Amino acid sequence: MQKSGMVTDMQTVPERLVAFLPNLRRFAISLCRSRELADDLVQAACERAILAADSFAPDSRFDAWMFRILRNLWIDHLRRQRTAGPQADLEEASGISVPSGEAASLARMDLLHVTAALQKLPDEQREVLVLVCVEELSYHDAAEVLSIPIGTVMSRLARARKNLAQLTGISFGERRSSDAKGGIV
Amino acid sequence: MTRYDFDDETLMAFADGELDEATSVRLETALAADEALAERLAVFLESRMLVASALKPLIDEPLPEALLTSVRRMAEEAQGRQSEASNVVALRPRQRQVKRWAKHRWVMPLAAGIVLVVTGVVGFTVGLNLNPSVMNSSAEVAGVLDREASGRDIALGFGEMLHIIATFRDKNGSLCREYELKQPSGSTLSIACRHDQAWVTQLALTSVKAEGYVPASSQETIDAYLSSIQAGTPLSAEEERAALAP
Repeated sequence: MQKSGMVTDMQTVPERLVAFLPNLRRFAISLCRSRELADDLVQAACERAILAADSFAPDSRFDAWMFRILRNLWIDHLRRQRTAGPQADLEEASGISVPSGEAASLARMDLLHVTAALQKLPDEQREVLVLVCVEELSYHDAAEVLSIPIGTVMSRLARARKNLAQLTGISFGERRSSDAKGGIV
Repeated sequence: MTRYDFDDETLMAFADGELDEATSVRLETALAADEALAERLAVFLESRMLVASALKPLIDEPLPEALLTSVRRMAEEAQGRQSEASNVVALRPRQRQVKRWAKHRWVMPLAAGIVLVVTGVVGFTVGLNLNPSVMNSSAEVAGVLDREASGRDIALGFGEMLHIIATFRDKNGSLCREYELKQPSGSTLSIACRHDQAWVTQLALTSVKAEGYVPASSQETIDAYLSSIQAGTPLSAEEERAALAP
């Protein structure tokens, strides 16, 4: 197999990894809701990816491949931790909160609201929500990452969004008109 | 037609741009006349927007230094291992590579001890325009080659970084080191062997690429060169330590 010849105009897995770190970390933070845990997870995923570099098909999506590795490690971690019970720790949860000054078009209260609501979603709903709405994967790619059929992606994703709407208590239809100029400082 | 024609998944797929065209057209028509349907759709449109606004900014957070350093090192080691592995595994196939590369006749020792690569290597500046900073820093490089272990990144002056890839002995038993000098302008992959306490550069490949790694084709050149001098397998950490001891 003449692998080296094919790599010339294509980046290798280790090279891509470094550039992809910010995305990977963002996904990790939204999965585990703690930066500290997320960083460990990202590190472990990178180690795994380098070991498994040969299994990455160069014409497939690198982001989906990495998300899948990271997410599998997270699932392993959760399995080992199962006895520890749910970790709906508020301090931990705040790890995900939004840096101020971002997304100025939305009132910050709303964002905090959304962030808090996201924490309350079941893991399986949050992960699919993040993959599609934040990382902008297609249903098809999200299905690959999660190893589930597309139909399941869609039903979970729809449930996640309806739950989110309920949890935020925002009546989406009315919101636009009611807090047009909220003046939150 | 009632609103129940469109279930949540269909509305959501429309909001996400994943609905087939025929159904999309049908839905758009229905939306015009059905306020409740429009509100159901709004849940999916706005939830996507809200989640994106809440989480996307996380990508702008600076990466923790420790994480970045660790992954960078991991990635570089992996690249290094790749080349080492090809050196080790390809010991015999190397003989064949030599023939393949022999037609390029790229080894031409110069007075300065710099050996130049001539043709056939994509992505490299032919070494004829010697990079002056390679020359300037040679004393500093020699010092590093004398003492530092392989696998480390050593910062030199002027934003240069020296990464020693491996240590081995050539057929005469001279100690040789393969290393990469990374500069803001590009990087140079070199092999130097020690003769009479001085490091003599045997081969230098300058990549014009400002960052990243030397392309695989340079590795082939290096491999071909290594086999032409009948380089032994890279020394282990212990062997290397012993060989470098003053």
